[in-house]
Amino acid sequence: MRKILIANRGEIAVRVIRACRDLQIASVAVYSQCDRAARHVRLADEAVAIGGNSPAESYLRIDRIIAAARTSGADAVHPGYGFLAENDAFAAACRDAGLTFIGPSSEAIALMGSKTAARQAAIAAGVPVVPGTEAPLGGDAADEEIARMAERIGYPVMVKAVAGGGGKGMRVVGGPGELPGAVRAARSEAAAAFGDSAIYLERRLAHPRHIEVQVLADRHGTVVPFVERECSIQRRHQKVVEESPSPVVDSDLRGRLASAAAAIAASAGYTNAGTVEFLLDGEGKFYFLEMNTRLQVEHPVSEAVTGLDLVEWQIRIARGERLTIDAARALTPRGHAIECRIYAEDPDTGFMPSPGRITALRPPDGPGIRDDSGFEAGDEVPVYYDALISKLVASGVDRPQAVARMRRALAEYDIRGIRTTVPFFRWLLDQPVFLDAAFHTEFLDTLLQQRRGTSFSEPESSLREVAVAAAAIYASRAGMSRSGAGLVGPAFRDEPAAWTRQARVESLRE
Amino acid sequence: MIEIELDGERRQVALRREGDRWIAGIDGRTVDVSVVETGGKWSMLLNPAEAGLHEGSLPDRVESGFSRISYEVAFEPTAAGELIVHVNGVAIPLTIADNRRGARPRGGDRDAGSGPRMIVAPMPGRIVKVLVKPDERVSARQPLVVVEAMKMENELRAPRGGTIAEVRVSEGASVEANAVLVVLE
Repeated sequence: MRKILIANRGEIAVRVIRACRDLQIASVAVYSQCDRAARHVRLADEAVAIGGNSPAESYLRIDRIIAAARTSGADAVHPGYGFLAENDAFAAACRDAGLTFIGPSSEAIALMGSKTAARQAAIAAGVPVVPGTEAPLGGDAADEEIARMAERIGYPVMVKAVAGGGGKGMRVVGGPGELPGAVRAARSEAAAAFGDSAIYLERRLAHPRHIEVQVLADRHGTVVPFVERECSIQRRHQKVVEESPSPVVDSDLRGRLASAAAAIAASAGYTNAGTVEFLLDGEGKFYFLEMNTRLQVEHPVSEAVTGLDLVEWQIRIARGERLTIDAARALTPRGHAIECRIYAEDPDTGFMPSPGRITALRPPDGPGIRDDSGFEAGDEVPVYYDALISKLVASGVDRPQAVARMRRALAEYDIRGIRTTVPFFRWLLDQPVFLDAAFHTEFLDTLLQQRRGTSFSEPESSLREVAVAAAAIYASRAGMSRSGAGLVGPAFRDEPAAWTRQARVESLRE
Repeated sequence: MIEIELDGERRQVALRREGDRWIAGIDGRTVDVSVVETGGKWSMLLNPAEAGLHEGSLPDRVESGFSRISYEVAFEPTAAGELIVHVNGVAIPLTIADNRRGARPRGGDRDAGSGPRMIVAPMPGRIVKVLVKPDERVSARQPLVVVEAMKMENELRAPRGGTIAEVRVSEGASVEANAVLVVLE
């Protein structure tokens, strides 16, 4: 393997390019129109244009990505996450073009992509699943039949898309009266999002935690499960904060989760990196939820507590190497790690996307801090894609130290030009329920509802006072009229922004 | 006097300057702060309120090793007159009220009054146009000189009405930062 094409963009493309460099493998970026000068393009060794701005015209175009691999002479493809990462047709197209797909086989992706087939694989592996329907309910399933099944499972039930993911095509049903409407809504959402309207039912657990197990599997039959990740802090079914290990999983439960995940991966003939997701109820019982057949967004927390490089291992497994990881090392957390997903979203307007030019950016650093970012100052966050800017990861010897370091890092995170979720995380990390780790998958939505839109950026009065003084000095300096020739003081000489500011204040006065 | 609006509240700020040091009177309270710009940000060191400052007496707190409160401040202009001030990474949106014309000729702001005023170049550039001649009467905000820098043309305007006492540059000349271009009486 000498050259890898990365069929993705943003921070994950940057992450894979870095792994390529560590292994002395050349990297090829692909880019849409608006990503011409994006960070992943600048960092890669080579770059190929693959089309228009909408994902359907570029990052989802299998034909163009395969053609880009051919023209660049790449011999392998890394799909990242999202876009084509869990598309079995893409994995098959790579294989058919003679390219190594850095991920599981097309068959394993297809198997786990069907949520009902994945549940059956889990049952076959002897792993408990959330009680629910075993076969997909296609468009021909009668309402009465679905109602009988829901009755048998017991309300409340979840209606979920068989091809689902990311919370799409998912409905919570409290009683029989709501069922037909929820089924209809879930079907139409699933058809729009995945081109498949089949649904299935699952019992809705009360206040479960989301616990997941990273696995690596080589082509020689070795499966290595990792210490679990806790991803219960979600907003509308989307993970917001992830940590490892889970504050509520002891070594006994860890061992059982790991064995269950490894058994499912083995029974599916799974290779490369994947993640088995579980729900954990209040009594310490866990249930298989689904398997993600790709590298996860939150993989850095596992790297932080094990010291292993997951992307490097993905590449090594893809080129046929044996997993030589010490199983105990992967399963024994050294310290604690937390990840915050920094999005270009304004938490004060209900997390509305806030695309645009990043005018200034200083990511935090220092002990225990890692920032996996797709952007630098001057870069534009386009409107067309996921608004993830960076993943901020803090690690320490234990959870309190990791939390303290994350707070420090969030305070240092300086980004201007766009709104981000940084103020939201500063607030969240002060919440007693977060500090006590007493959360479940719905706690954040409840907490946010209670706030009723209160601003996340309520600066204390001393900061406001400084802001008023600073703004007055700014206006005075820029305007040249307050202190006359004093504008150009020793501190302001040879300062390129002076003209810009001058022009700005001139226009402001009109 | 500069008026700043923050969360719907209008704050009156009077400023005095001595080098890096600014004394801001905000609604009667005094803030004594050193401002140094670096890399597009300001380092502000604030004397604590209990330092007991009086207008007219500016003891040198730096030399005496006074401990001051440190803030990192950056500015993000959003719209005309609107600004987000980032203080220690916390975004504080505010408005600079447009009361400058009205406030200009009055007392209380010693710099805006009479006496010769130097119009200086804020950074190195080239004189594109000189728009005034000596002895010419100009009104406040009248353009005096056009300077090109960073491939942009910038008008320097009269800070107040008066008479042009001196024009020290000619068109096409290159000027250094701080160079006096025009003197206004």
